[in-house]
Amino acid sequence: MAMIIGASVIAFGRKPGRSIVSMAVEAGLGAMRDANVNFAQVGVGFFANALGAKLFGDMTIGQNVFAELGLSQIPVINTENACTSGSTAFYLAQSCIAAGQSDLALVIGSEKMCVPELGLIDSGANELDTQLGMVTPAGFAMRAQRHMYEFGTTREQLAAVTVKSRKQAALNPLAQFRTPETIDEILASPLIADPLTRSQCCPIADGAAALLLASDDYAARLERGIRIDAAVLTSGSYENQADIACWETDSRTAEQAYEQAGIGPGDLDLVECHDAFTIAEIMHYEGLGLCRPGEGGALVASGATSLGGRIPVNASGGLLSRGHPVAATGIAQIAELVLQLRQEAGSRQVANCKTGLAHCMGGDRKGDTKSCTIVVLSR
Amino acid sequence: MTIDLQEAPAKETESPPVANNIFASSAGDPEQFELLGGYCDACDDYSFPQSEHCHRCHADTRLVGLGTDGVIYSFTVVRTRPPLGLPQPYAVAYIDLKDVPLRVFCLLDPEQTGDIAIGAGVRLSVGQLGINNVGQDCLRPFFQLLPENRDF
Repeated sequence: MAMIIGASVIAFGRKPGRSIVSMAVEAGLGAMRDANVNFAQVGVGFFANALGAKLFGDMTIGQNVFAELGLSQIPVINTENACTSGSTAFYLAQSCIAAGQSDLALVIGSEKMCVPELGLIDSGANELDTQLGMVTPAGFAMRAQRHMYEFGTTREQLAAVTVKSRKQAALNPLAQFRTPETIDEILASPLIADPLTRSQCCPIADGAAALLLASDDYAARLERGIRIDAAVLTSGSYENQADIACWETDSRTAEQAYEQAGIGPGDLDLVECHDAFTIAEIMHYEGLGLCRPGEGGALVASGATSLGGRIPVNASGGLLSRGHPVAATGIAQIAELVLQLRQEAGSRQVANCKTGLAHCMGGDRKGDTKSCTIVVLSR
Repeated sequence: MTIDLQEAPAKETESPPVANNIFASSAGDPEQFELLGGYCDACDDYSFPQSEHCHRCHADTRLVGLGTDGVIYSFTVVRTRPPLGLPQPYAVAYIDLKDVPLRVFCLLDPEQTGDIAIGAGVRLSVGQLGINNVGQDCLRPFFQLLPENRDF
């Protein structure tokens, strides 16, 4: 497969005056400098953005970004796959390298969301679900209600996800929310969609992230290559009647990733998962096989997924605290694994981290996700 | 169960429906609305909203009634600033329909946000609720709790 030789994430948050392109260029330069390779050797560029067309009327932004980086003439591919836009770009880049099309591929995701026009995220203005009031927090809130009904998951267990997230984000200088919150404070914050309070929903953000991928031969000449053991992209099943308390798409994608990597969930040292809402992280524990179905709430409450626990999840602070600039997120998750596997994560370093998994999902259709990506990396 | 809807026109109203072919007057009771969806005769498979082609055999589907009643599978009350001119708060749910094996997403009656529970029985209604994509007032389907919230 391919290897990752450069990674960069810019601090997420409100960035008035910064454009999608300028943030992307900053992240792209960061990944190139991190790898310390010649720009002229980049053979292909992948650029992810989800909301630029809707919010700003922009399109084919990738060519603008790569031109600003001095990378003209090469193939540039723009990707939009909702929250997996970035990890989908990564998926395509590693496929491109594995196919022998290029030795170096630069992947950049950039999103600008902190504008008044944003409103609540949905899954497409013309979808009937959207027209009947489906907004992203509502979809996850209904999962939470059903999970609580079927498994006895408690509001306190939901809040424990945010407690952990804030605590870990305090160790990440690039995270947006770094102040600790207690379970009582989290449950007392305003209800967004029952039972999810504001502190249980990830914040919008402006931000960008980038990765430089290389062929095995190219990476062998460097000392900082991180191996890609699995890269899987799936879409939902959309089966009627969807079981919204157990995410089949999660477990199906995880099975493919574990098979490709030749490992099981017990071999992981770190997981970065798509914790857009507290219930999402709990359900992803179960889908990824970190615990049995229905036991995700108890798992987070036990401390097993905290730094120092059996399987730390979202050491970076995750979407809940790092922030969620949609198309940058999937790349930032992978960049966190790269840092951890290089043992360069500072005070949030997972001890002796050898294998990590990044999970992302995006969009909503008929009670399922539209896309799910899982990447397994090792050193 | 399928219903021939050729003789069941929608009620006359001033506002347009939020989407075509998603509800109509019930064939059995002109005062009652029912959901409409797709049905594939070959696969015995329903869809809501209607899929033009069956996802399994790709044959054309036909528009059928999906019935009036269901049971709440899950729900939430959205309390943040609502989209599409919907009331604040408003409620939504996945409903298991009584007459056909479908779990559908739909609005609940925004006047009943305090009483909703998983397992509660609901019946379809239609009313002016919010605006459509071009800013017009429009009709939306929504389910109301049955007085006895009975299970089916």
